[in-house]
Amino acid sequence: MIVSYKWLKELVDFDFTPEELAHKLTMVGLEVESCELIGGGLDTVVVARLESVEKHPDADKLTVCQVNNGTETVQVVCGATNHTTGDLVALAQPGTVLPGDFKIKKSKIRGQVSFGMLCSESELALSEESAGILILPADLALGTPVFEAMGLTDARMEIGLTPNRPDCLSQLGVAREIAALAGTSIHLPEVQVEEAGTPAADETSVDIQDSDLCPRYTARLIRGVKIGPSPSWMVRRLEAVGQRSVNNVVDVTNYVLMELGHPLHAFDYNLLRGRRIVVKRAGEGEAFTTLDDQVRSMTANDLMICDGEGSVALAGIMGGQNSEVGEETVDILLESAWFNPIAIRRTSKRLGMHTEASHRFERGADIDMAPVALDRAAQLIAELAGGQVAPGVIDAYPAPLQPQMIELHPEKAVDLLGVQISAGEMKSLLEGIELKVDMQEEGSEAVLNVAVPSFRPDLEREVDLIEEVARLYGYDRIPTTMPQGPILPQQATRRQKKVRKARDLMVAAGFDEAVNYSFISPTAWDRLLLAEDDPRRTNVKVLNPLTEEQSVMRTSLVPSLLETASRNLAYRTLDLRLFEMRPVFRVAPENDLPVETLRLAGVMTGRRYSDGWAQSDDTVDFYDLKGAVENLLASFLVERLQWDTDHGEPYLHPGKSARILSGKKVLGILGEVHPKVQQAFELDRPAYLFDLDMDVLFDVCRDFGGFQPLSRFPGVHRDSALLVDEAVTAQELLQTLKGIKVRDMEGISLFDVYTGKGIPEGKKSLAIRVSYRSAEKTLTDDDVRAAHDKIVRVLCEKMGAEIR
Amino acid sequence: MKDKLEQLLATATTQIGEAGTEAQLQSVRVSVLGKKGDLTDIMKGMRDLSPEERPQVGALANEVKDRFEELFAKRLDALRESDIAQRLSQEKIDITLPGSTSVAGRKHPITLVTEEITELFASMGFGVAEGPEVEQDFYNFEALNIPKDHPARDMQDTFYVDDETVLRTHTSPVQIRTMLKGQPPVRIIAPGTVYRRDSDITHSPMFHQVEGLLVDKNVTFGDLKGILTTFVHEYFGKNIGVRFRPSFFPFTEPSAEVDMQCVICKGKGCRVCSQTGWLEILGSGMVDPEVFKSVDYDPTVYSGFAFGMGIERIAMLKYGVNDLRLFFENDVRFLRQF
Repeated sequence: MIVSYKWLKELVDFDFTPEELAHKLTMVGLEVESCELIGGGLDTVVVARLESVEKHPDADKLTVCQVNNGTETVQVVCGATNHTTGDLVALAQPGTVLPGDFKIKKSKIRGQVSFGMLCSESELALSEESAGILILPADLALGTPVFEAMGLTDARMEIGLTPNRPDCLSQLGVAREIAALAGTSIHLPEVQVEEAGTPAADETSVDIQDSDLCPRYTARLIRGVKIGPSPSWMVRRLEAVGQRSVNNVVDVTNYVLMELGHPLHAFDYNLLRGRRIVVKRAGEGEAFTTLDDQVRSMTANDLMICDGEGSVALAGIMGGQNSEVGEETVDILLESAWFNPIAIRRTSKRLGMHTEASHRFERGADIDMAPVALDRAAQLIAELAGGQVAPGVIDAYPAPLQPQMIELHPEKAVDLLGVQISAGEMKSLLEGIELKVDMQEEGSEAVLNVAVPSFRPDLEREVDLIEEVARLYGYDRIPTTMPQGPILPQQATRRQKKVRKARDLMVAAGFDEAVNYSFISPTAWDRLLLAEDDPRRTNVKVLNPLTEEQSVMRTSLVPSLLETASRNLAYRTLDLRLFEMRPVFRVAPENDLPVETLRLAGVMTGRRYSDGWAQSDDTVDFYDLKGAVENLLASFLVERLQWDTDHGEPYLHPGKSARILSGKKVLGILGEVHPKVQQAFELDRPAYLFDLDMDVLFDVCRDFGGFQPLSRFPGVHRDSALLVDEAVTAQELLQTLKGIKVRDMEGISLFDVYTGKGIPEGKKSLAIRVSYRSAEKTLTDDDVRAAHDKIVRVLCEKMGAEIR
Repeated sequence: MKDKLEQLLATATTQIGEAGTEAQLQSVRVSVLGKKGDLTDIMKGMRDLSPEERPQVGALANEVKDRFEELFAKRLDALRESDIAQRLSQEKIDITLPGSTSVAGRKHPITLVTEEITELFASMGFGVAEGPEVEQDFYNFEALNIPKDHPARDMQDTFYVDDETVLRTHTSPVQIRTMLKGQPPVRIIAPGTVYRRDSDITHSPMFHQVEGLLVDKNVTFGDLKGILTTFVHEYFGKNIGVRFRPSFFPFTEPSAEVDMQCVICKGKGCRVCSQTGWLEILGSGMVDPEVFKSVDYDPTVYSGFAFGMGIERIAMLKYGVNDLRLFFENDVRFLRQF
């Protein structure tokens, strides 16, 4: 909503500067988003007379002008064509900074000196575009600043209105707020309609058939208008508040809309069949062409303004083409009505039509303003378009609305706000915004009976009045306190702590955290090579996505993470460790909300170590990734960890990938990205990724593994290299080893894998280290030998191993 | 015999002095005190002495032995000392070469800010509550006093999954879910991901919010000011100006926008604050009685306040990030700055 400081000054008395006003309005709830001073800093743009205009000797399209600025005559080169000797023009003298940070300097143009510039309206920000330079009225004094001379100095303020304040969608509404701030009162424009000819009611009629959607419809008839351009004061007024001039009649309706906030519509009376108005619901499926040439399909819930035969306007939203005011229009039927906000909103939403009128009606216009705005417009049309207003207002208002009455108990306001404001003060604050307040004493406590005027539909309950009291009293005057209730300790939940722990562990392992959009492109699944029947292709779909790329909720973090890696590689960040821990979304059976499960995925590529003189340039491999995952799982004390290859993930290298289980519960997968997928995501080098189901992990993890007392005796270890079939996995060997019952075995590890020279074809050497320690004594050689021999023997039996 | 002993001590003293290494020194010791050492020989020869001579010579021999041990130990210390000194003088590295290390990763700034805000509010007694990101219209709108066909729905462009299901447009539905679980007192904050159908330089279709809710007996608007002023002062600095101005949210009444003094220009006016000197950082207000009705709280007994803030906005102000899109591009050059 744009307001003009100058216009406001006509409607209410106040002494605030534009800056003060902007601050005060902001602090009372009308947030001034910008305050632009029109003509501010442009005192060096002065009224000047063209003493002569001659063609530029070296340029066809330029003129060389001798310009009298009131004190001297200077030469200015001008590119316009609409000026002649004797015209008064706006001369921007050197040193001027025009809107848009355009500095005017003394210059030479094609050899001719130019002491400034002759300005157009758009260069002075008086209008958005203009043809030629501004020719000023002939009676202005030379040398005076143009804005001052023309009375154009103004401030244009853009107010970001909240939807609860339709009353402020006009100059008048904002003026009311200013009146409350300044302790003055508004003065409505004086309206005097001179009537002549046959009374309107003798010739036309208004019939409201659906009064639930249209409680009030007022109309006037104006005969013999001449459609033409508006006078410049009207054009400027409209421009000041961001409206463009169309013609005198349409301009008047827009002017009244901006001034009083009430939407009006002008029909070409002679195009109304039957010369009458009927207000009723549309026929289902009816086609109707609106002013913007669009054919609209109506439903039985849409309210139409009809004439004797059919629809002529989409009520409260836009007029119809069939009754549009045009150059030929002579007689006008002027509408000023009030429509049901919900009905207007439903129709305008459905049709995607948002107009100045619908904006106001759906928020709630002022029903009492309808006849006032009607008269104001009739008066202006008569003035500007020379018409004759037919006597009488047609006012169809079958069931006049009663003003809303609300009781305000001042002690409730005091309790809620936490500040002592007396009942009397509340009364005067509310009266400041034109609420009628009747104060009654009830015992020791006062009650305020408040009548809400029709322009404040947002005030419905006591709490709404409390807000008005607080707002007008000033939020900054309410003391700052702390809540009285006890502060109870707030621990994160077990799950919240685990989420945080997982994130901390990933960061400690060198992974940077990514945050990607939850919605992705459905084609991502193709790039991952997911099978047609993969359940992850069944997605929660966004009905109204911004783009196809953001149209389904992801069921896997993998595609976004690969894209993130790809984007970073494109920027030549080549060593990457990235993770993301966020929910994925699965369609739920029945009509439940989607199932959101937390997943943690990570990707690795590039070198194992950062840049360094003492570190190798080796690139990461499967085992770096596995180590990172193992470390995470170990920190969560996951037991019965199993690795197998039955994951079925098509986007992983089949020979370098694994499924991770704890017992029978699947925790996730990891492995090298399949070469085809690597290509699909434009990764120019191998990448490794893991993807864990955190809900399963949190389920199988433990907080603490239990305390083991420490042995005070020395430990020893024995190493053995075992020759086994190539097919034997490390996991098989180690799990068999763990299962062997020997005394004092403390730990096992696999420290070497070897094939090649000295190892028979089809075999490999696995070197194990077993450490022993007793809690009761220092182990002797014999003790250890007995235990280790048993281990080697059992491994040879069970695994077909041989000692190397 | 006596002479022999003195001679022995003199020779040994010389030898000890000449021993340049620990090994040489040890061999001197063997030559004196070893099984076939000179002093050992003399001690063995004692039995040939007369009983009168024996104690005298014995005492002398012991004296020589003690003296030898003393000299030996001294020399050993000196040799070891010089060994270490020599080693230290030779062993010198360039300590300015970078260390070998594995580099830790970084948390996303959205996570960092969420954690910081969560901790700050935890210290004021607020627990963390959570809710689904795909949410029922009822929790996201209806129960928050935003009926269908109300212009307030225009304040938030919504992604729909179906007629009754939306991608939550704010974390406020967590308020409703929390209040439906039990009666006051309630002190929670709800950080989380939210979605709005809006995408340009200053809007992301997915972003993050922290919601706060406090409901108890006798909670006032002054208390709202107290908690939120404390937040701004703790998070951005004690001397930052804070102002509350009237606004509108369907689920609070009275409602307030909270502005803080621009952290970039210190309130003088700059591009970031659109020359106003103030930055809008929080929406807040006293919980609307309609909301209490929908969760079955008695508004004549309880009152409360709610507030919400955008995490990306807070992060941008806190860290001086100038482009919202950076948060979702995950450029490692960006991530590693936090």
